[in-house]
Amino acid sequence: MGSAPAQIPTSFVHELRACLRCRLVKTYDQFRESGCQNCPFFKMDEGNERVVDCTTPNFNGIISVKDPSRSWAARWLRIGKFVPGCYTLAVSEALPEDLQNMCEEVHVQYVPPKRA
Amino acid sequence: MARRFDDEEDDDVEEEEYEDEEEQLLDDEDYDVDEDVGRGREGSSKKRGRSDFIDDLPEEDDEEYEDDDDEVYGGGGGRGKRHKTPRDGSQFFDLEAQVDSDDEEEEDEGEDGFIVENGADIPDEDIGRRMHRRPLPLREDEQEDVEALERSIQARYARSSHAEYDEETTDVEQQALLPSVRDPKLWMVKCAIGRERETAVCLMQKYIDRGSDLQIRSVIALDHLKNYIYIEADKEAHVREAIKGQRNIFGAKIMLVPIREMTDVLSVESKGIDLSRDTWVRMKIGTYKGDLAQVVDVDDIRQRVTVKLIPRIDLQALANKLEGREVPKKKAFVPPPRLMNVDEARELHIRVEHRRDPLTGDYFDYIGAMMFKHGFLYKTVSMKSISAQNIKPTFDELEKFRSPSVKEGGEMAGLSTLFANRKKGHFMKGDAVIVVKGDLKSLKGWVEKVEEENVHIRPEMKGLPKTLAVNEKELCKYFEPGNHVKVVAGTKEGATGMVIKVEQHVLIILSDTTKEHIRVFADDVVESSEVTTGVTQIGEYELRDLVLLDNNSFGVIIRVEREAFQVLKGVPERPEVSLVKLREIKCKLEKKFDVQDKYRNTVSVKDVVRVLEGSCKGKQGPVEHIYKGILFVYDRHHLEHAGFICAKAGSCCVVGGSRSNADRNGDSFSRFGSFKTPPRLPPSPRRFSRGGPPFDSGGRHRGGRGGHDALVGTTVKIRQGPYKGYRGRVVDIKGPSVRVELESQMKLIAILYLIMLLFQHPTGNDTSRYGMGSETPMRSSRTPLHPYMTPMRDPGASFMSSAATPIHDGMRTPMRDRAWNPYAPMSPPRDNWEEGNPASWGTSPQYQPGSPSSRAYEAPTPGSGWASTPGGCYSEAGTPRDSTNAPSPYMPSTPSGQPMTPSLGPYIPGTPGGQPMTPGTGLDAMSPVIGPESEGPWFMPDILVNVHKSGDETHGVIQEILPDGSCKVALGSSGSGDAIIALPSEMEIVPPKKSDKIKIMGGSLRGLTGKLIGVDGTDGILFSIFLRAYRKAFMSDVPLVPPNKDDALKNLNIESTE
Repeated sequence: MGSAPAQIPTSFVHELRACLRCRLVKTYDQFRESGCQNCPFFKMDEGNERVVDCTTPNFNGIISVKDPSRSWAARWLRIGKFVPGCYTLAVSEALPEDLQNMCEEVHVQYVPPKRA
Repeated sequence: MARRFDDEEDDDVEEEEYEDEEEQLLDDEDYDVDEDVGRGREGSSKKRGRSDFIDDLPEEDDEEYEDDDDEVYGGGGGRGKRHKTPRDGSQFFDLEAQVDSDDEEEEDEGEDGFIVENGADIPDEDIGRRMHRRPLPLREDEQEDVEALERSIQARYARSSHAEYDEETTDVEQQALLPSVRDPKLWMVKCAIGRERETAVCLMQKYIDRGSDLQIRSVIALDHLKNYIYIEADKEAHVREAIKGQRNIFGAKIMLVPIREMTDVLSVESKGIDLSRDTWVRMKIGTYKGDLAQVVDVDDIRQRVTVKLIPRIDLQALANKLEGREVPKKKAFVPPPRLMNVDEARELHIRVEHRRDPLTGDYFDYIGAMMFKHGFLYKTVSMKSISAQNIKPTFDELEKFRSPSVKEGGEMAGLSTLFANRKKGHFMKGDAVIVVKGDLKSLKGWVEKVEEENVHIRPEMKGLPKTLAVNEKELCKYFEPGNHVKVVAGTKEGATGMVIKVEQHVLIILSDTTKEHIRVFADDVVESSEVTTGVTQIGEYELRDLVLLDNNSFGVIIRVEREAFQVLKGVPERPEVSLVKLREIKCKLEKKFDVQDKYRNTVSVKDVVRVLEGSCKGKQGPVEHIYKGILFVYDRHHLEHAGFICAKAGSCCVVGGSRSNADRNGDSFSRFGSFKTPPRLPPSPRRFSRGGPPFDSGGRHRGGRGGHDALVGTTVKIRQGPYKGYRGRVVDIKGPSVRVELESQMKLIAILYLIMLLFQHPTGNDTSRYGMGSETPMRSSRTPLHPYMTPMRDPGASFMSSAATPIHDGMRTPMRDRAWNPYAPMSPPRDNWEEGNPASWGTSPQYQPGSPSSRAYEAPTPGSGWASTPGGCYSEAGTPRDSTNAPSPYMPSTPSGQPMTPSLGPYIPGTPGGQPMTPGTGLDAMSPVIGPESEGPWFMPDILVNVHKSGDETHGVIQEILPDGSCKVALGSSGSGDAIIALPSEMEIVPPKKSDKIKIMGGSLRGLTGKLIGVDGTDGILFSIFLRAYRKAFMSDVPLVPPNKDDALKNLNIESTE
C-alpha cells in the first residue's frame, strides 16, 4: 500500500460530503477532524467553515477504491494517485475561486467538474 | 507526449538490458513467488501468454511497470525510473503498444506512478519478490530515483505549472485510459435497494480490515442505479470472495460488464445542483409533487432545504381534523394550490398563531406545525425530495409566486435559475445585452465574442474599455419595444412578433399570428425579422380544427403548443379549455352539418351568426364548425380563446343570408355564379322566412331583420337633432328607429334610422369583421355609407355643411334606400341588377388587386347600376367599390373620394375564397384602405403634412381646418413658416417613422398622441405617453406630430381610453 487509506465514512446517507478537488468522500465530522488526505493544503481540520467551502454534499455515486493505482476505474476517474478511500464519481459544484487560487499556489491542479 | 518520449529515450538503454534480464528472472520465478504471495497468478500467466504472440515491447512495458512499482513501494515515487522505458523502439510500436505507453505515461506522471497495466497483479508479485530477494538494490534504486525525480520535476515545472497531479483531462488523454483487456473488469452485483452506498463503504472497510486478502479493486455505487453495485476485479472469483458474508449483497448472480460499456458506468454527469436562496425547484414527492417551489434557506449540513410553496391545503378538512372529527380519507384528491388566507382559516376555527420563528427570526403564521407567510407555505424538506435540475418555471407559475412581498431582488434571483438552464450558444455576436448583476448592472452593450463562460461585450457607454468580459450569468438579452423577435424556447417557441413592452427580463410581444400578447422571458427570444405563424400544426391536427377527443367530447384547437393543443371544448355553458396531448385526440371532424338556429333558420358553416344567449351574448361572427348542435363561432372581437366562441345553435341566430342555399364550395366565383343562375335562386323565398320575428314595415322589409342585425353593435354617429354629433353603439332596431347607446353619456336613446349615420371603425378589428363575413348583409350595411361617412368623420371640422349642400341629394338618396329597403340580400332587384351588370361581377374582389386599371373603367358601371336599383346595390357585398366610387360624381369637392383605388383592398380578405381565418393577412391587406380612403377629411390640427402647391412640395403643419374642408397650413416641418391655405387634395400625410411623435387620425383612438415605437407591417404601435399603455393603430392613421408641438400635446383630447 502506498499510503494509509482515508477514513471510511461512518454514515452512508446523511452528512456525507465530498472534497471538491479530489472527490474524497467522508462525513462532515471526519473532514473536520482530519481534513482531506489528498488536499492537506486546504487545512480543513483547522476550521469548520473551510470544510463547508471545500466540500459538498451534492455528489453523484460512490466508488471505494482499495488501491487507486491498480484500479482501472480509479485511473479513469483520475483519482489513481490519491489515497485509498471512498470517492465520488462526480461532484456537482466547482471549488470556490479563492480555493482554486490556493490550489494554484501550491501547484496542484484543479479540474472543475464537467457540466452536462 | 512527445516530450516524454524524448525524456525516456535519453534514459539508459542499458537499463533496458537489465530489465530484460530481470524479466527473465521474473518469469522464472513467477510461480514460486505467486505461490508465496498467494495471488497475482492470473496476471502474470496472462502476461506470459500474451508475450508469446505479441511483440516483446509491450512486455517490456510491463516489466517496466514492475520496476516503477518497486520504487513506489520503496517509498520513492516513480519519477526517476520510469525513464527506462525502451522508447527507442517506439517508432516500431504497433498501435497497441502506443496506447500502452500513453497509459503508462499517464500513470507515471503521478508521483506514485504505479501501473496496473496488465492484470495489475505484477506489483504484488514484485512486492513479494523484492521483499524476499532484493531489499537492498531497491533502496539504491530509490536513492537514484529521488534525484531523478527531482530533476524531472524541475524539468517539468519549467514547462507546466500544474503537472503534479497531471490530471489534465483532455479528451485525448482520457481516450488513452480506455479500458483494455488487461485491465480489471467490472462486475455487476445485485444488492439491497438503498444500500448501494453502504455496501460500497462496507466493502472498503472489509478491505482495510482484511488487508490484501481482498482482491477486488474497487466498488462502485451509482446513485441513479438502484439495486446494483459494480465491483472491479480481475476475476469473478475475487468478486465472490469479496461479497461473501455481505448481508446486503445477493451474490447469486454476477454479471460481467462488457469492456465497451465500462466507461459508461463511470461517466456520471455532475448534477450541477446549485441550491441557493431563491432558486426555483420542484417538489419530487408528496402532495406537492411537481409543484414549483422557491428555496428560502439551505442547510447543507443537515441536507435540508426550506422552500416556499403555494399551499395545497383543504381548509375544511384541516378544520375537521383539528377538531378531531373523522376525516374521510380521500387519497385521490389533491387540493388545488391556493394562497393561505389566515382569516378564512380563523373562520373555520383553525387556530392560527402569529409568532416568531426562533431560527430565522421572522414572523410566521403557524397552523399546527405549518408555517405561513404572505399566504405561502414555508416547508422544510430533505434535499432529496426536491429536484433542482432543469427547472423551467412557466410563466403562469412565476406569476402566482409574485406577491406584494416579492421585491425586485427576488425577481432577479429567480432569473439565475433560468440562466442556469441556458443552452450553449445562447449569446451570439451582435446580440444586444444588458448586465443584470454585479458592478456593471444595467450596462447595455453588444456581444462581441463568446467564450466558455465569459461573454465579451462592447459597452454602449462611452469611456469604458472597448470590450468587457462579463460572466454569461450576469447577462441578459436586451430588447427594445419595436424589435421584431422570435421566440426560441418555452411553450411559445416558434412564435414571432413585435416587442411592445419590456418589463425587466420579461417581454410582452404582440404575436404576428394571433395578435395576442405573449409574455416571454427575454432570454427565450432572439431578434428576427422572420414572420412565422409559430407552431400551428402537430401531426395532422392544425390550429382551428375541430377534433374529437378521447372521452367523446370535442372541441376546437385554439392554440398549438409544443407538445399539446389547447382545445376549446364544445360545452356551450361556459368556455372550457383543456390541454390535450396528441394521443388524446381521436380524429379530426370535418363533416359539415347544418343545424337550425333559434328561429329555425338553417345554419351552416361560414354563416355569420349572432349569439343571443349565454355568456357570449352579443358576439357574432362566422360559424367555423358545427357539431352536435354546437356552433363554434369565430369573432375577431373576442379576445379569448383565439376568438372562438362555443354556443348552442339554438341560442344563436343567423345574421343576414346564409350560404346554405348557395353553392357551398366556398369559392367566390361559383357562389357568385350561383347568383347569376336563375334556377338556383329560388331558395330565396326560404331565406326570406329567415330572420325570426317578422318585420312589418312593408314588403320590402322582408328578410330585413338580418340586415338590421348587422347594424347592431356597430358604432354610429347621429346626424341630426339634439344628439347631433354624438357617437354610440346600436343596441336594438325597432321599425324605423334604432336605439343607440351613447358613448359619452352612457345612456340609451332612440333615434330615427334616418338621422343616424353608420360609423365604421377603421380599426383592424372592425374592418376585419366585415372582411371576415363574406356574407353580404354585413358588408352591405357598411359599403354604401362610406361616402357619407367621409364628411362626418371629422368631428371638429365643418364638413357637415359642405355635405349638406350639393352632395346632399346624392347622399340622401342612397341613404334612404338603405333605410327603407333594407339589405334584402336576396331581393329580386339585386338579382336583376346582377344580371344586368355582369361586368360588375367580374370585379369581384378577387380580381381587383391585380387589375387596378380595370377599376377606373368599371367604376361608372356600378354607378349606373346603383342608380337604377339602389336597394340591390347597397345590399350587395360584391360592390363595395361601386358605392364608394359612385358618389364621387356627386361630390366633386371631395377629392379624397377619388383615390379610391386602394379602397378595394379591404374587401379582398373578406372574399369567400380568401382566407378569412388568417387574421394577419386580413389585417395587413385591409389597412391601406382605410387610410387613403378617408384621408381628406381626416386631417386634423397639429399634424405634419406634405403640401404640393403649384408644383412645390413642402412640409407643413396643419393649424386649422377651415369650414370648406381646406386647411390652414403653416409651412416648415416645425410649423414655423408662413401659413397658407391648402386643399385636402394638395396635402398628404407624412408617414411616421419609428420614434416619431404621432397623432392618431382614425379609429377609436383618434386624437391620441404618442410616440411610434415600431412599425409592424402597416400597423404602427403607438406608445401613449398619457396612458402609459400601448395602443395599436393602423399606421395609416398615424401621421407625424411635429417635434416641437409639445404644447399642442398638452391640450390633447383623448377620445377614448379603452
